[in-house]
Amino acid sequence: MLIQLNFKSGKPVYLQVVDQIKSAAASGALQPGEALPSIRPLAEELRVNRNTIAKAYSELEHQGIIENRQGKGCFLADNHSPLKKDIRRKMLIEEIDQAVVQAHHLQFNRAEFLALVDERFDALEAKQTQHKGGTA
Amino acid sequence: MNPDTPAIEIKDLVYRYGRAEAVHGFNLTVPRGKCYGLFGRNGAGKTTTMKCLLNLLRPKSGSVRVFGLDPRKDEVAVKSRLAYVPDFVAFYPWMSVRDTLNYFAAFRKHWNLKLEGELLERFRLDPKKNVNALSKGQKTQLALTTAVCPEPELLILDEPTSGLDPIVRREFIETVIGAYQEGDPGNRTVFVSTHLITEFEGLIDEFTIMDAGREVVRMNADEAREKYQKIRARFAGEVPKLDLPGALSSRVRGRELEVIVNGGGPAILEQLRARSPEELRTESLSLEEIFTVTLR
Repeated sequence: MLIQLNFKSGKPVYLQVVDQIKSAAASGALQPGEALPSIRPLAEELRVNRNTIAKAYSELEHQGIIENRQGKGCFLADNHSPLKKDIRRKMLIEEIDQAVVQAHHLQFNRAEFLALVDERFDALEAKQTQHKGGTA
Repeated sequence: MNPDTPAIEIKDLVYRYGRAEAVHGFNLTVPRGKCYGLFGRNGAGKTTTMKCLLNLLRPKSGSVRVFGLDPRKDEVAVKSRLAYVPDFVAFYPWMSVRDTLNYFAAFRKHWNLKLEGELLERFRLDPKKNVNALSKGQKTQLALTTAVCPEPELLILDEPTSGLDPIVRREFIETVIGAYQEGDPGNRTVFVSTHLITEFEGLIDEFTIMDAGREVVRMNADEAREKYQKIRARFAGEVPKLDLPGALSSRVRGRELEVIVNGGGPAILEQLRARSPEELRTESLSLEEIFTVTLR
């Protein structure tokens, strides 16, 4: 898993780390039970403050994406989000609403937007298949 | 002691060299456990400010506190809790690397020998070598080693990487992140002055931009990158005349408009979208660009 930071994205640095680990987990680039790099080498490699990585990891732990095993480091969690379905639904709706607003401004109608969503799901599944093939 | 006491607190600091005023009513607070950047052009007053913290200069007025202590009255207590890497490193020319490390260690209650060994190896520093035979980069690496091994609560770095080659600069920053911060992250404060801002970008939690002895901007790095944005719009025809409230600057090149904002980006974007541009893009400014825009 490679993390690339972009200081011009306007997104807080720790959130960039959170989002990239989440997408690696979704695509299968990071498998359940797999170890995440420990804080120090990752901070050194990305040349960011150690606290930034620590903050990202604690956010991921809070979201149930990773688990911190005492003294052994962080691992991608086996089970999925500990949050209740209605809370997860709310979280997703917020993201979708933003994308819908953005679609409006970028002049994509409903059908075009939905087609694009379908296409992105296909792209994610293709990645998942590829990673399964790679690790099998 | 109260753990909320800031690592550094400077209030209304004034310093003059003869009649020339170097620092004029400067304020700064560095919370513990943070990495704080002091950015400014040459002659902005960064080094003078740092020297007041170290009691190398006596403020003409105002107050300077390190962990709540006055460096003039409690010089020993203050210096036992911090380490300083100056922009020009000088050692006693008759000493070897080993002698130099022993000399620095003699002033310290605590010295992490294991860390010393790791850093000597990492920097490929030969303990037997005379310090005079070291390159500029190696001298800085030795200075960093003497600063990190006592595991001080505060590390003060004054233009630490200027004039060094890219590999030495990279190793320097990695050492600050890794070897220094690792020990007890909540209790490791870094105060760094630099104009090589890009290199320290990822390290900086908060910063102050200083100019002519005064604070110009003080911000959290993530917030700064969120607020300072460059908006570019390209129109099919001529760029429409727009009133852009709150824009720091704007310029037109042919059919393209570039606006730099400090906050207020969404309102300006909305205004531009209403004019149906062919293309509309936003990117955040890096800390170095924020520095340039601020002092332009």
